[in-house]
Amino acid sequence: MRPSLLLLIVGCLFFGCAGLSAAAEQDSCFTCHEKGLFQDQVVHEPVKSGKCSICHNPHAARYKGLLRFEKGKLCYTCHQEKAESFTKGIVHEPINLHECTACHEPHAASGKGLVARDLKARCLACHGPREENDKIIPGLAEKYKHTHQPYLEGECGACHQPHNSVRPMLLVQAPDELCGSCHAEGELQAKHTGYPGTLRGCLTCHNPHGSDRPALIRNVLHEPYEQGCDSCHEQSSGRVSVEKCGECHAEAFGEMLASHTHLTRRDGNACVNCHSPHAGDEQRLLRARQKQVCAACHRESINKYKNSAFKHGKNIDNCVDCHHQHGGNDMAMLKGNGLEVCALCHENQGKFTHPVGPEVPDPRTGRMITCITCHNPMGTDYPYNLILDGKQQLCVQCHKEY
Amino acid sequence: MRYLMGIRRKAMSQSRRRPAPGMASVHLIAWAFMLLWMGAADRVLASAWTVQLTLMRDTIEDAMIMPSALFIDQEREQYYVVDSGKNRLLSFNRQGALLNVFNAGGALKTPFDMVRTEDGMIWVVEKGRNSLTSIDLLGKKTTPHTLRSREGAVYPHRLETDGEQLFVQDSASGDIIVYDSGLREQQRFVCTECSQGFFDFKVASGKIWALDWLGKSVYVLAMSGTVEMTIRLGDEVTYPVSLALGPGGYLFVLDRHSRQVVVFDPDGAFKYRLLQQGIATGQLYYPVEILFDPWDGMCIVDEGNARVEVYQQ
Repeated sequence: MRPSLLLLIVGCLFFGCAGLSAAAEQDSCFTCHEKGLFQDQVVHEPVKSGKCSICHNPHAARYKGLLRFEKGKLCYTCHQEKAESFTKGIVHEPINLHECTACHEPHAASGKGLVARDLKARCLACHGPREENDKIIPGLAEKYKHTHQPYLEGECGACHQPHNSVRPMLLVQAPDELCGSCHAEGELQAKHTGYPGTLRGCLTCHNPHGSDRPALIRNVLHEPYEQGCDSCHEQSSGRVSVEKCGECHAEAFGEMLASHTHLTRRDGNACVNCHSPHAGDEQRLLRARQKQVCAACHRESINKYKNSAFKHGKNIDNCVDCHHQHGGNDMAMLKGNGLEVCALCHENQGKFTHPVGPEVPDPRTGRMITCITCHNPMGTDYPYNLILDGKQQLCVQCHKEY
Repeated sequence: MRYLMGIRRKAMSQSRRRPAPGMASVHLIAWAFMLLWMGAADRVLASAWTVQLTLMRDTIEDAMIMPSALFIDQEREQYYVVDSGKNRLLSFNRQGALLNVFNAGGALKTPFDMVRTEDGMIWVVEKGRNSLTSIDLLGKKTTPHTLRSREGAVYPHRLETDGEQLFVQDSASGDIIVYDSGLREQQRFVCTECSQGFFDFKVASGKIWALDWLGKSVYVLAMSGTVEMTIRLGDEVTYPVSLALGPGGYLFVLDRHSRQVVVFDPDGAFKYRLLQQGIATGQLYYPVEILFDPWDGMCIVDEGNARVEVYQQ
């Protein structure tokens, strides 16, 4: 027999057997698992090819669902190219949590990319109003009195990237460019007669999802904005100084006269770093939700907190629970020193635990021992947010005789 | 064609030529040694900084609270520490012994930075009253000055001097503004690329070295205002708050969140990092400023540990 013919026969036998094996594997799984539950418009390739064992071990596994690997690693065993690209820029929280299945169906789905056709419902499961730590966290509504058309149609992907982006809110483009991609400049100019200069900062006035007001103007208007532009803007230059804001918001302005402040440049007015000067979704007229506003500059701190093994206990939803938002004379703009800020909630802690306070010096520095001598509320690798292992390593830093 | 074949034959003959086995080992060892040495050199540099001096108060009652800046008077061989939490200035001699504690009769309100000009005048950034305050020690006179420029009120943050002029970093504009001793604006250094302007700067080698913390970049500006070089710090730093020009023209960047000093060579290439988080001597907690003294000491002001440590290589 000619060698080429022999090779052909062996090849056919091999691939035939492989096909048979996959088919046999799938048949075997579907004797118990109803096959119909694994079928939809789009079927995951291992399911389609009958290779359930790519993800599942049929006999025993360490992970729920008899998965071969933990959730963070399983998907990347095939989708290797995603592992690195998903570390760049601002990353969608489910990816940080290795929860690919928060958005994707593992077996089959009605939409492309194994995502349900009703993408909006899936997005709102996290981004809608929800209960967290016994509190109701406000979120996006399914529809508003006036709803932005793409949002109404469930086209979240028209504006947001699903995985990661270099821009806040995972936007696909810079906000003004993004608005301009649908709304022609001429059309916008016509609707903003009398606006000085080039139109910009759409999101300072408009809510991109929806609003109770026509033209998606955000629900809460800054009082001077209602009275007219001249209330704040200098007629000659159009600019608004920080001191102008301070004329009404004297308390906030006073807080900024501190050793550490958020008085930094931003279009000539530091207030608009965080606040929208014209309209907002709540009384403080913040540009976004509190954490998102802070994350615009302090993303690494927030990521460190999120990624810590042990975080500060529940009921801490906002950075401003512990930190001053405008300025302060304490470390990291905390609302007091390492004792005072913790005592805002932990009233009795210092009275029955390790001695702390002005009478108790740290032998390493001679400085007062405070809560943050041993704890880091921004999260650590040890229980109770201890900065080192509390079984021994932490204590012997000072108690060396033990 | 024959020419091309000739080349090919030559290449083949070269590829077949092998060095003697003993010679190859020598080359290999030499290369390995060289690579090891090149890698180790940076590590040696990185590990060679040790604490020589600590500027602090010994008693818990009199401890500094949130020291924010250091000024070094080369002529008098003194260190001045700004104790922002206790509204005072402390002077130490070159050996680290406390010389004086000065609070201008209780007049200082959240002092943040200071310099002493050649005429003996002390200038203090007082954040609590948004003032650049002059202190005439001989005349025993303290005068707050609220600065204004054509852009509006100036909010001084960092302060440097070349001996005569005052270089003020303005938080509101992010610019560095140069004033003469009469507080007349002489010049303005603007960062057109930064979203938040400059955060810290040093005047060294006749240039301005300015840090854009949010953009994680350092700009080297000529005195004309022209940007001569931009150093992208990239992911080597997380939250850079201060910078200093060290020996050999190396750039030392203080990273507040990683509690490290990150060092770049004169071309802006990352070289190594120093120090670690902690409370013990030689560790950083919430560092806020880095600078070099004229005696090659690397000085780090640490708010969190309420001290200034001077490291020597």
